[in-house]
Amino acid sequence: MRTVVEVARAGRRVRCVLRAGHLAPRVLEQSGDRVRIALVATGALLLGGDHVRVEVRVGDGVAVELVETSGTVAYHGRGLASSWSADVRVGRGASLLWDALPFVVSDGADVTRTTSLHVHDEGAALLRETLVLGRDGQRGGLLRSATRAVVSGRDLLVEELDLTGGHAVPGVLGDARVVDSVLLAGARPPAADEPRGVVVLDLHGPGALARAVGTAAHVADAGALVDTWRPVLRARPATPEPDDHPCDPDQPTGTTGDDDRSTPCMSPTT
Amino acid sequence: MTAVHPPTSVLFALLADARLPTGGHTQSAGLEPALLAGLAVADVPGYIGGRLATVTRTEAAVAVVARHVVLGDPDERVAGLRAVWQAWAARTPAPALRETSQRLGRGYLRLAHRLWGAHPAVVALDAAVVAERTRPSAERPAGPVGRSDRGQPPRPLVLGVVGACVGLDARQVAQLVGYDDVQTIASATLKLAPVDPADATGWVVAAAPTVEAMAARVAHLTDPDDIPASGAPLLEEWAQQHVRRTERLFSA
Repeated sequence: MRTVVEVARAGRRVRCVLRAGHLAPRVLEQSGDRVRIALVATGALLLGGDHVRVEVRVGDGVAVELVETSGTVAYHGRGLASSWSADVRVGRGASLLWDALPFVVSDGADVTRTTSLHVHDEGAALLRETLVLGRDGQRGGLLRSATRAVVSGRDLLVEELDLTGGHAVPGVLGDARVVDSVLLAGARPPAADEPRGVVVLDLHGPGALARAVGTAAHVADAGALVDTWRPVLRARPATPEPDDHPCDPDQPTGTTGDDDRSTPCMSPTT
Repeated sequence: MTAVHPPTSVLFALLADARLPTGGHTQSAGLEPALLAGLAVADVPGYIGGRLATVTRTEAAVAVVARHVVLGDPDERVAGLRAVWQAWAARTPAPALRETSQRLGRGYLRLAHRLWGAHPAVVALDAAVVAERTRPSAERPAGPVGRSDRGQPPRPLVLGVVGACVGLDARQVAQLVGYDDVQTIASATLKLAPVDPADATGWVVAAAPTVEAMAARVAHLTDPDDIPASGAPLLEEWAQQHVRRTERLFSA
């Protein structure tokens, strides 16, 4: 079931089209062309057979921040595979910050995770991804993770991590269970020292990937880079400010299709 | 080409020979940084397998697709090579690994110019290099990383072109990349740790089926988008650390 977060300018207003799937989007805060939206799980995630799809569309000149209220655990699939995919588009002069919480792959889970990101050459996105193999005391299930980030029509980063058994070799993950990444796409990061345990890879195009690999989440933490790189998002090219107006409740509510968990665009709840 | 090619197997051996003047002696295929990060010599065979499943497979696929492109439609060769180049860059997130590959690419390109300079494949590569160097700067990588080698084709791109020049088939090109990686690791170990050379050679023999299997899996590829992109986070981390070391035997 698709979760849709679509934020775009409509005249002098900002319009949100939110649609709930396995995750329900809720507007937390809106001010001018900035919107903070929470993604709330509508049930236990991920069970075997679950296929979570999240579509994020950030329209020109809009700044969106997605926050999660809890991490995602892929449970034992009882023989069924599951998948999680995000399809993200960030427009001209737009930005997206998605500081996602950990994605934990339990023993017995068989998960394919896909992140597809398209950023306009005058847009920028900052995405966190924390992959954790196994809950406490587990070795973890099967995880295939693929990321494709495209900026201005050109591939910035194409990467697959095949964590289905062959990864426990020296040079790939060794005995590490956590891969924490922060991807900045659409802008070069400001020069900064690498925090201990974090490696910053300057990509071949406008962007960078910070990564920490370790045996536990507290020793593999690239989160500091979210704060370090965040100002880059605010430095997007200036565009005319629309009226300070909450997400317009009169706009289409996204109750399209047969999805009874759709959520209308709401006024701020905080 | 009207000239009669020497038997391909001899040229395959030539390209796989460490005495080829392309700067291969400066390389440890990441082994020196791996040992410095704590890799035990007993785990070197595992390290070899890890590379063959990830970064080396990507390099082999890049060489395979580059070879395919320069043997195809003459009008598509330059654009095709640029697309392969781009695919390689997007699949090689660590700047240290990109720079190493581009430095080695320069050595192979020099050799290609001297030996096969008039071959249409080399001519197409030269045109691709010119096009990349004159690409509008907004599209080009900026910043402090890789400045010296900007516009240098990576090694597997050149190797694919050379493979086309000497008549290697796709599988041979992939085998060449895989074999070279394994042998580079094995021989570098001899300089970095007390290992019996026969044992190190045994690692290469033991890895041969894995090299063959890897080559068989990528030999059919023709589209840059299909080039595998399996990352190796620790390798990339170690490669970055090595760049900053002042005391090292191998450059990478």
